[in-house]
Formats: sequence, structure tokens, C-alpha cells
Amino acid sequence: MIPDLFTELPPVRDALVTETSKQQDKTADLCLSYLAGDSGEQLLEYNEHGVPRLRRDSHVRFLHKSLGPLPAGFMAADASRPWFLYWALSALVILGEDVSHYREAVAETARAMQNDSGGFGGGGRQLSHLATTYAIVLSIALVGDEDAYEVIDRKAMWRWLCSLKQTDGGFQLGLGGEEDIRGAYCAAVIITLLNIPLELTPESPAWKEDGSATLFTGLAGYVRRCQTFEGGISGQPDVEAHGAYAFCALGCLALLDHPRRIIPRYLNVPRLVSWMSSRQYAPEGGFSGRTNKLVDGCYSHWVGGCFPLIEACLSPVDEDKKGGTAAAAAASKLPPAPESLFSREGLIRYILCCCQDTSKRGGLRDKPGKLSDAYHSCYVLSGLSSAQHQWELAPSEETSPATGRADPVWRVMPYLEDNDENDVQIFDQKDRLRPIHPVYAIPIQSQEAIRDYFLVVDGLKKL
Amino acid sequence: MPPKGKAAPKPKGTENIKPSTSSSNSTSSPAAQQPTTSTSPSGNTPTAPSTIGERSQQRFHESRPFDAARQKLGLSGLSQAEQTGWVSSQLAARSSTSTGSSRRTTPRLGPKAQRELWRHVNDASLPIRTLKNKKSAPTPADVWGTDRAGQKIAGYSIARYEERAAKRTALTALQVTSRAFREARERAKRGLVVTRDHREQPIVLVESAKDVQEEKQRRRQMAALRRELYGEMTGEFRQDPEWDGVEPIPQVEPEAALATISYPEEYAEAISYLRAVMLQKEYSPRCLRLTDHIISMNAAHYTVWLYRAANVFALQLPIPDEIDWLNGVALANLKNYQIWHHRHLLVDNYYPTLASGPPSTLSRFADSEREFLSAILAHDTKNYHVWSYRSYLVSKLGLFDAAEIAAMAALIGDDVRNNSAWSHRFFVVFSDPRQSTPGTAATDADPAVPREVVDREAQYAMDKIYLAPQNQSAWNYLRGVLVKGGRGMRSVEGFVSEFVRGLGEGEEREDVLSTHALDLLAEICKEKGERERADLCLRRLGEKWDRIRVGYWEWRRRCLDDGQ
Repeated sequence: MIPDLFTELPPVRDALVTETSKQQDKTADLCLSYLAGDSGEQLLEYNEHGVPRLRRDSHVRFLHKSLGPLPAGFMAADASRPWFLYWALSALVILGEDVSHYREAVAETARAMQNDSGGFGGGGRQLSHLATTYAIVLSIALVGDEDAYEVIDRKAMWRWLCSLKQTDGGFQLGLGGEEDIRGAYCAAVIITLLNIPLELTPESPAWKEDGSATLFTGLAGYVRRCQTFEGGISGQPDVEAHGAYAFCALGCLALLDHPRRIIPRYLNVPRLVSWMSSRQYAPEGGFSGRTNKLVDGCYSHWVGGCFPLIEACLSPVDEDKKGGTAAAAAASKLPPAPESLFSREGLIRYILCCCQDTSKRGGLRDKPGKLSDAYHSCYVLSGLSSAQHQWELAPSEETSPATGRADPVWRVMPYLEDNDENDVQIFDQKDRLRPIHPVYAIPIQSQEAIRDYFLVVDGLKKL
Repeated sequence: MPPKGKAAPKPKGTENIKPSTSSSNSTSSPAAQQPTTSTSPSGNTPTAPSTIGERSQQRFHESRPFDAARQKLGLSGLSQAEQTGWVSSQLAARSSTSTGSSRRTTPRLGPKAQRELWRHVNDASLPIRTLKNKKSAPTPADVWGTDRAGQKIAGYSIARYEERAAKRTALTALQVTSRAFREARERAKRGLVVTRDHREQPIVLVESAKDVQEEKQRRRQMAALRRELYGEMTGEFRQDPEWDGVEPIPQVEPEAALATISYPEEYAEAISYLRAVMLQKEYSPRCLRLTDHIISMNAAHYTVWLYRAANVFALQLPIPDEIDWLNGVALANLKNYQIWHHRHLLVDNYYPTLASGPPSTLSRFADSEREFLSAILAHDTKNYHVWSYRSYLVSKLGLFDAAEIAAMAALIGDDVRNNSAWSHRFFVVFSDPRQSTPGTAATDADPAVPREVVDREAQYAMDKIYLAPQNQSAWNYLRGVLVKGGRGMRSVEGFVSEFVRGLGEGEEREDVLSTHALDLLAEICKEKGERERADLCLRRLGEKWDRIRVGYWEWRRRCLDDGQ
């Protein structure tokens, strides 16, 4: 009932023992016992495919708790409280929970973290930071509604973003802070979600007298410089390829243009796909973040979340609407992806067998033996949701009332294992999660609501 | 008329008052006849009080000799003498304590009655003042309140209470001295000093280190006393004269705020001072110490790091000193991100000095940095932040040299699967500005790379592959090297074939020592136009040797058809 792919060690293994192989062997052995259901932990009953149920209630409890007052042990999280909001709210939404009752609390919390000079810090009176600002903006989008949206001072946000924009195309995370690809992704999300004007202020380091530079100038080029010889993406140019940064790179590019056009133009796609696919291990089934590193549940999102974007990049050009995109299609002669570029079954097994904290604590985790936390809960569930759905970036049938354009829109459908009679759905239908936007990582409705709100606002009064 | 609503029955008019000591009935107690201070009116044998609560209670009763009996039996239950005694003491107490409006409600006695009253009071030694209960303290003992542990102070023994009182006095005395210190300091700041006749004169007072030390000691004592007496915590900074004049800004969270943290006192206090000095844009040694203190508690606080950097630069501190300090912090916080950005900022700032000195200055610095990096990587060989910094350092100082390559060789020698070391080696070799084209993508060929470098690196990778053929790090490196050198994959066909035997010759004979070799072989076959064999490689990968990636291998098969 469980394929031997997930019950046995892989057929090719080396004899040489090093620190890396010791860790890997230990992890594989540990995961094997969880995948087979004989870990000794009081897991729930396994279904006929050897997969346990999602412990929804206990995860929901864990997530609500991580929004409440936190004990002194969380002191080290003092500069990342916005992340706790996003992780918990996002995970709750993926689990199908209604989070609108947190609206006022999110607005209040956000207001206290906003700086007059633009952006949100990790807490009250902390310097603004792109990562915490990203987390706050998405949290606001998740709880929704005008009252929450209006907390954001977009004019100050725009000025602040301009001050972070660097001449090499990238973004600093904070004034005087580091510049890396997280900045590129977070800035692109904030700019497009809030309809921030692209022109630069003269105070921006990237400002040019002829007015030719914008917030997006050179951004894709910056992303390109982060691709390494392995094909993956590093946090900054000239460093090791890393899963979290791969998602940031593809997410950023997907916001700048259609993935089919922009990804092949800036990245070596065959190498990238090879590297992405190498992140999935057997028998564990989960993804690792780097070559020769261990699987970790959070990469279910960071690496797993790259696949819908790559699939969109490889998607065939619609025959009827060849027109303008024909040239782009010709430039990329890559074939479309098969049904799935990665093993959805492997990832789903890893998540449901290895990443659930089965104790009273609840929540999801990196791997067996690690404590669950809000971060892993969010990204493990996001990865599970992604593995259960199929995304398509389709030409829109109607023009958006807000933009007046017929932009391609992301369409989602459940991924059904019905293309082959051997394929069966291994998880319980009740455990199918809610889909979230492959780039913004919030439900598509939440993303459209906040985007349209600010588009309309700008129709009435310019920023 | 007496005001209505008073619970205690009151004598109505003067006719009720017939002070007399002569008659007594059988119900009268002996105590009523001799209400002295040593005997309680209730008839209980007086004992020395063991707690201050008891002492208060006793004093209370002593000031109201007939109250207890009256409350128990009612006025009419008392003997004539007791009645007289009670009324007399009430009137005496009232006339001696009442003032203003309450006096108007006091029954007015004629001169004779007054004389009678006072004679009786004197004779019976009645107390002329009664202790009253406070509204907030229903019994006399309650007036003492509770101590920091929530215990009733009334339960304290006399000795213990006296000790407490002495401490309160000591605290007050310390506060007075401390206030004098602060005032003197304030005046000194304004250049004034107080003369003996209390006039301020302009004299510059230099406060001695001893004064400050004494004040520090004093505040420590005050803090200890406050804590002991009231359970009040006085933060370290409040106690430190160095921080006088800075008004801390405590964190105020909106009521509904989410994910709030119950900060330890020490942390919350330090952060509240940080906010204050940041707001003032103060850059000083004490700010530097403050950042050190906060970082020791929470090294992930990016704001404090950026503020520390601003202090270091504003105060023009020697960068090597700061780096020394940072080394200790780095070793204590191996997973931390901010430390390495701070180091980055320090080197940026230090670089002009290094570059303008003799070459030995820069190379000495580079050596010490590399030494520290080796030490820290020994704890965690794949620490991403450390490697990011190392890449920056190589670029900044131009360390594309043999030493850097040797350092990577050592790490790869320890663990051939250390992909971070492989990645860094690739960067050092192929981004060396002397032998590479700036701006070339990592996945593109670069004609500026010398042939012998490509040969050397390819050979290095192949040697390592022999040690562990399934190690993807080395294969990725090999492939990357060949791409850089603009060489086809087929240039290593012989080598690759060593790891794949009997392909397609049946389960018995087919053996694959490395899936990465089979992957590369597929590419080689494609290069050579051997489409079928390429397809076979990919099919076997998906079917048997690397099944988890079957979707990818399928896509690769499609790529064969599309001329990719």
C-alpha cells in the first residue's frame, strides 16, 4: 500500500562517510519510520494508502495561540512580530478558517509598528524593514477590509521604498541594511499590491536626472545575478543557491511580467529546473533547501512553491492568441511541463507523516524531532495546498474593471490524480486545503480585493 | 438632634447622663468598675501583643473601654456604672476631638453636667481620645496593609515590624542624599554651586569618580530596599547615575495588539532606554554599552545593530576593536544574521584605511579575517550568513588567491559533500577579475577563463567524484566548470561512462554508481545526436535509479524532442 520508493533507501548510495552523509542517513532513517507509521508517536490512524489525517483542529488551536500574548521565551522574536501575524493568519486561512475577527487587532498592531517615514518595523519604534513590511501588508490583506487597508500610509511607503532602491537594481531591506533578493521580492509584492507609483523620488539612490529610472529598473537583472552555476538562486550574487531565495526570485519576476516571457529571458531555465527538482529526496519525499542539505518542511513552500511559477513559464502559448507572444514563445523552445514536475505524492506523504506535531501542542514542523512553530506551520501548509492544486496563468476573458486591461489571471483547480489508472489520491478529501495565490501567498480573493481597492482609490485621488 | 442614620445609639439629651459611681448591679463586671489601661473592658486578661495587628487592636480597645461590652450586650445590658462610663467616655472623646460642624451635633451640656462629666472621667481614668476605624480599614489591624508578598503586615511581630520601619527610614535617608547628588549634578551642569548661605554661585564643580561610585552604591542599596519593602523593581539603568537625565520610553502596545511578548524586565528597560537615545540621536560610549547589553539578550534585533554601527562610526572607534568584540558575539550566536551584516558595514568603513596603508596592512587584516572565518565555520560548516560574508570579503579585499582556494580545499577535504565550500570555490575561481569577464552569468561560458584553470578545476572535481560518486556537489561543480570553459559535456564522456554499466542490458547487468553520471550521460548523448540513448538514460532514471524525480525526467525526455 505504500510504494517502496518511500519505504526503502534509494538504490544508489556511497560508502564514504562524512558529516553530511551521517546527518542524511540519520534523517532518512527517522523519516522512514514515520512514513511507515511505526515511529512510536501517537499518530492518528493511517488510511489505506498509509497516510494519516491532517490534525486540523490541533493546528488551528496552535495557530490562534501563536497570535496571543507570547511568553518571555519569545524575546528573540521581538523584531519579527509582524511575521507571527502573517504566519499564523496565513496558515489559518489555508486551513479554511475565517480570520476577519482579527481585523481590528491586526490594524491596531500594524498602526503601532508603522513609521512616519514609511514602512513597518518589527515592533513599535523599530526601523522599517522590507520583510516585516511585507508581513504586515499581507496580514492586512488577509483580514481584509477598508479599515485595515487604510492603516497603510502609501505615500510614505512610496518614499521609503524609493530610498531603499539601489543603483544595481536591488533593494536594501532597511535603510543602511543589507541588500538581497528578499528585498527584490518583498518590494515587488508591496508595490504591485498597493499600486505604488513606480517613479523615483530625487532622494532615491537610484534616481536619474533624465527620469528614466523607476522602482523596477534593473530589478530583473539583479535577480539574474543571483542565479548560480548550480542553477538555483542565492540570496546575493556569488553565494550558494538556496531554496528560499529561489521562490523570491521567481516570485519577483512573475510580478514584473508573464513568467513565460520574463523567466527565460533572465534565468537559465533548464539548470533552474534541474536544481529545483534535485531538492526532492527519497525516501523522505520532502524538499531540501540546498544541495547536500537535509529535507525541511518549510521548503514545501519555498521550493514547492516554485513549481507553479515554472509550469507557467513552460506553459504552451494559447494557439488562438499567439499574436504578441509568438516571439516570446519562439525564444523559449522549452517543452511544457508534464502533469507534474515533482512528486506530489512524496511531498504530501512527507508533510502528513513527518511534519505534524501529534502531541497536544499541534502545529507543523521542519522534521520529526523538531518543535513545531508558526513559521513552519505556515510554509508546510502552503506547500501542502500547492501540492493539492494545479495553477494556470490563463488569459483573462474579461477586462478588469479596475485596470481596464485583460491581464492574464491565475486560475486554480484541484490537482486530481486521474490521468493514469495507477494514480490515486492518497489523502482524505477533507484534508484538501484552501489554495493560495502562487506569488502573493494569500488567497487570490484577498489579493484582488486589496489591489482593486487601491486601484480605485487612485482613480479618485492620486497618491 | 443627632443626625439620622448613625448606627450607634446615642444619648438623647442631658437627662440621660447621670454620672454616678455609687450604684452597681449584679451584671456589672469588675472591669467596668476599674477600667484601667492594664485591664481590658471586655474582661479578657491582657497579654503582651505578639503582632503589631494585635497591638493596634489592644490600643483601639483601650481607647474605648466600654465598647466591647456594649456591642456584646447592648446599652441596656450594661450596669449602671458601665453605662455611665460608656456615656462619659463618648462625650469626653467627642468634645476633645470634634470640630466645626460635628461640634454642633454634640449635645451641649450645662456647666454642672460638664463638671460632673470631667470629674467622672478623671476618677475613672477614662481615655479622652478614642481611636477610630478608617473607612478603608474595617478593623484596626487592616490599616497596616500588605507587604510585597501579599502578606498582612498586621501579622508582623513587633520586632519584625520595627526592622521594617528602620529600613523605610534608611530608604528615606538614602533618597534624600541621592536627591542632593542629582541636584548638585544639575547645578554643576549649569555651572553653579550652592554656597553656605543657600545662594547659587557660578563655580564649575567636577564630580569625582568617588562621588559617582558612592551614588551608584547608594542607588543599589535603595533599589534593594525598595524591592524588599514594596516589591518594586528598579531597573539597572535607573540605578545607574550614568543614565540620569534620560527619560526612558517604555513600549506601549495597543490593547488589542497581537503577538505581544512578555519581555523580561531587564530587556524591557534596556529597550526603553534605547528608544530614548535613538530619538535624541545620541552617539556616545554609553549608547555603545547599551547596544552591547541588548545584543547580549537578543542578537536578532536589527534596529539595535544599525544603531550600534552608527555609534561606532560617529565615535570613530577603531574598527579592529569592534571586530574583536564582534568575534565574541558571533561565537555566542552562530545562527544570527545581523552580526554578519554589521561586520560587512565595518569592513566597508575600514577599507579606505586598509587600502591606503602598506599592502601588509591589508594582508594582515585578510589573514585575521580568514582565521576567524575558519574558526566559526568549524562550528557550522554550512552557515549561510558566514558564507555570504566570506563572498563579500573576497570581493571587497580582492582575495581571489591561492590561500582562499586552499581554505576551500581543506573544507572539501573534511567533507566532500560540503556544498557551501564548493560554491565558494566556484566563485573564487571563476569570478577572479584577472581571469573572468565581469557580468557573465554563472551559467554561461566565459572565454576569459584560462584553459588551464578549466582543466585544473575539472580534474579537481573528477578526483572528488571518485571518492563519492553520488555526491551531487562535485557533479554540479564539474558541469559548471565545463560550461564556463565552453566545453561540451562530451569532453568527459569517458569519465562519466565509468559510473554507468550495462545500460539497457537488463536488470541483472545494468548498474549505476551515480544518478548524476546517468543524467550527464543523457546530455552527452543528446549532444552527440544519440537521441535514443539519451532517452534511455532519462527513462531509466525515472523508472529505477531516481524515481522521486520522475516528473522531471519526463520533462527532460520532452526536451529531447523539442531540440533542447
